Amino acid sequence: MHIGMAVREKNITDQSAAMLAKIIEQLKLLNEKLDSLNKNNDKLLKKFDVLNEPSIKASLNPQADVMTLLTLPASLRKTAMALYRFRRATADEIAKTTGRLRAVESTSANQLVRMGFIKKKREGRIVYFSIEPKLEDEK
Amino acid sequence: MKTISIHSSRGGTGKTVIATNLACVLANRGFNVALLDFDFRAPSLVIIFSKALNSPVKYWLNDFLNGRCKEVQVLIDISNFYNLKGKLQVGLANPSVEAINNLTQKSQAWETTAVKKLFSLLSSLNSDMGIDYCIFDTSPGVQYSSVNALASSDVCVIIMNSDLVDLTGTKNMLKDIFDILDKKTVIILNKFSPENRVVPNKESDFAFKIEEILKHPVISKIPCYCDVLQAQRMALLAIERPDHPFVRKLEEVADKIDKL
Repeated sequence: MHIGMAVREKNITDQSAAMLAKIIEQLKLLNEKLDSLNKNNDKLLKKFDVLNEPSIKASLNPQADVMTLLTLPASLRKTAMALYRFRRATADEIAKTTGRLRAVESTSANQLVRMGFIKKKREGRIVYFSIEPKLEDEK
Repeated sequence: MKTISIHSSRGGTGKTVIATNLACVLANRGFNVALLDFDFRAPSLVIIFSKALNSPVKYWLNDFLNGRCKEVQVLIDISNFYNLKGKLQVGLANPSVEAINNLTQKSQAWETTAVKKLFSLLSSLNSDMGIDYCIFDTSPGVQYSSVNALASSDVCVIIMNSDLVDLTGTKNMLKDIFDILDKKTVIILNKFSPENRVVPNKESDFAFKIEEILKHPVISKIPCYCDVLQAQRMALLAIERPDHPFVRKLEEVADKIDKL
């Protein structure tokens, strides 16, 4: 009887040790996964830091200021600079200012819209283009 | 209306003296002239015309660009003080440290709004106020305010001294800004003396050489006059001494700009 109990107790102890070993192993795995998550988190935070850099911010929110327009191809720059004169203008109105064909201005203006420098709004059959800078935190 | 920017690659070339006196020359011919201080980093017109201001300045150009006043509120008529045949109205830049700081720390978005406001101001000067000539006295080098003024001008006048540093600076500026903006650009060689020329050639060939290097016409060589230097930026010779050779040179400049 005593011997049987002792054997049973030994079995239980062995099982507990095995379970403990398994738990420790799982905890180690969990730890590794947490470390890996932490590393990914750091990488993501760094990416967000990059997003806050002025040059990246500028590329995400393009502005049609003169200095920026100086870096654009002449054809696009001419259209954008003509738009400074208007609150909003059709391709036809821009063409009258630049002396170029309406089709040229339409192509150029649509390219500037795709690049994010200007806005486009349709009212019925008329399409208007405009420069609408977003002012943030300006005194 | 003709819009003229007076600009240079570096400071001390004589931009302000030429801008103020050219404005007076044109106003004395009976024209309606607007002179705008676009040197927001170092405003000087408020000091030069201080005697002609009857009351404290209510609205500065800074206020207009910041959306605090309308186009018509920013010009101050000082013609009566100088007894000019025509009209001289000035738009002044605020010389306070706070205002200078404010305007030199703006975002690209604000600068985009500023250039749109500038075009709206010029449209108002032309159609509502009957201005014949609008002259910008700009900040030297590549500043947002100056580039905005250049972009909105019909004629850009570069004031250059005859030294190698200025020549190199002007050459780079022409390549990086003026030629891209595709503006009518002319050069005035100011404080010119045969001794300080950078091109080893005869004096008569000097302007030609400069034109060859910079690929823009030299419309005047203004000698270095001691009395202009002594009076510094305060010199309003076009009013005080209209027969002075410096003023006669500016009369020629006005004629040439008119034909551009």
